[in-house]
Amino acid sequence: MRKIFPAEELARDSRFIRQSNEARFSDPRGARVGGGSAASTKLTPEQANGPDRARALMHGIFVGEIQALEGAGRTCFDFEVGEDVPFELKLDMARQCWDEARHCEISVALADHMGTELGEYAENTTLYEAACNPDPVLRLTGVNRALEGLAIDVFSTMKEFGNLAGDPVLEFCEDWMLADEVTHVKMGSDWLRSLTAKDPERRSKALEFQRVVDKLFSFSGFRGDDEDSPIKLTRQFRSLAGFTDDEVDDIADLAREAKAEAATA
Amino acid sequence: MTDRDRGTCMAESKRPREPFAPWDRRELPGLFDVEETARRIGHYKWMETKLFEALGGWVATVPELDVKLRLGTHCYHHAFHAELFHKRLPELREMKPERLTVPPNEELVAFVNAMTEPEASGQTIEKLVGVYRVLLPATIAAYTYHRNGTSRITDMPTIRILEMALKDEYEDWCDGEMLIQSMIETPEEVDRAAAHQAKLQKLLLAAGGIAGPGSIGDPYVDVVED
Repeated sequence: MRKIFPAEELARDSRFIRQSNEARFSDPRGARVGGGSAASTKLTPEQANGPDRARALMHGIFVGEIQALEGAGRTCFDFEVGEDVPFELKLDMARQCWDEARHCEISVALADHMGTELGEYAENTTLYEAACNPDPVLRLTGVNRALEGLAIDVFSTMKEFGNLAGDPVLEFCEDWMLADEVTHVKMGSDWLRSLTAKDPERRSKALEFQRVVDKLFSFSGFRGDDEDSPIKLTRQFRSLAGFTDDEVDDIADLAREAKAEAATA
Repeated sequence: MTDRDRGTCMAESKRPREPFAPWDRRELPGLFDVEETARRIGHYKWMETKLFEALGGWVATVPELDVKLRLGTHCYHHAFHAELFHKRLPELREMKPERLTVPPNEELVAFVNAMTEPEASGQTIEKLVGVYRVLLPATIAAYTYHRNGTSRITDMPTIRILEMALKDEYEDWCDGEMLIQSMIETPEEVDRAAAHQAKLQKLLLAAGGIAGPGSIGDPYVDVVED
C-alpha cells in the first residue's frame, strides 16, 4: 500500500457520485438548496426550503464523515513513529477513526430518518484533499482545526435545527457528535502547539494552511459569525477546543471576506 | 450484647486464616521472568501498531461501506492494545519502550509487508483474509498462551491487559470472518482467499508467530538420545 493515497482514488460503491469543486460551486441547484445565494439566511425548519436544506446538509455531513474517517486512517499509516510523528499522535488518530466511523453510522441513520437516500446529493473530495498534506503538522492543522472546527459549527446548527423542529432524535445525535468534534479539534490544537513549540516557521505555515482551508470552507460566507449565517460560528465550543478569541475573530473575518468576494464575483 | 459475648466475637475475629482462600488456586512462579515478559510485550506492541496503521490506511481503499466502517473501528481497538502494552513496558523496567518495540525477526517484517501490500479497491478479500484469517488467530493464540502461562500473582497487570485485548480480538475476528464470508460469492473467490491465506500463513510460519519462535510455547517432549 502506498503512502499518501490520492483523493481521486478514494474507494466508493456505485451509489456515490463524485463532483469537482468547480461543478459544485457553479451548480445553481446547490445555491437553491443552500437558500438562494451566498447571502442566504439562517437554517430554520419553518422556511419553505428548510427541510430540504437540512436534508442536503445531513447528506453532506455523512460524506464528510467518511472522508474524515479516511483522512484520520491515512494519518495512522502515512507517517512513521519517531521519524515523523510521536506514537501518541497516531493513537489520537486511531481514536478519531473510531469516532468518525460512529459518526458515519449516526449520520447515515439520521439521513434515512430525514428521508434522504445515500447518493441523492453529490460528493466532492475537498475535505480529504486537506488530509493529503505531506507535513503531519499542516495536515492536522488543516483537518483537525479547520475542518473539524467547521464540524463543530455544523453540528451546533443541526442540533439547534433539531430543537426548533421538535426532533429529539436529531438533537440528541448531533449533541453526541458535537462532543466528539470538540475533542478532535482540541487534538489538533494541542498537537499544533506541541509539535511546533520550537519551530515558529512551521507553526506559521500550518496556521496559514488552516486559513486557506477555513476560507475555502466558509463557502463564500455560508459559515460565519453573523446572526443570519446559515451555519453559525460556534464560539463557546471552539474555546473548549483550544481556540483563542482572536483566532475565532480571524475565522469570522475570513468568512466576511469570502462573502464579500462572492457578492462582487 | 453482654461483655462475655463481646469477648467471644473479638476472640473469633483473631482466628488465623490462610493468605490464600481454599478456592484460590493461583500459583507461583509463572513461565516468564521480567525480561522475557518485556520482550514479548514489545513484540506485541510492534505488531498491534503495524496492524492499526494498516487498518487505518485501508479505510480509504475499500469501497464496501460496512467494511470501511468496521476497519475504522478495529483500527482503534488495536491502537488501544498498543497503548496498553506501551504503558506496561516501563513497569517491566524498560524506561525507553521504543527500544523493545521491535519485530522479533526479519521474517515477521516480511509477513507484515505482504499482509499490507494489497491496495486496489478490488482486493478487499485479500485485505480481510490477511488480518482476520491469519494475523488475528495467531495473535489470539500468542496472547492466550501468555495469559495462561504467566503467574496470576506476580504478573496480573499483564494478564489484565491481555484479557482486555483478547476480548476485542475475539469480537473483531468474528466480525472480520463474517465480512469475508459475506464477500466470497464464487468458487474463484474461495480460491483467491485460500491462496492468499496460504501465502501469508507460510510467511508467519517462518517468523514463528507474532513474538517469534515460542510464541505459543513448545509442546514437544525433549527425548534424550542414547
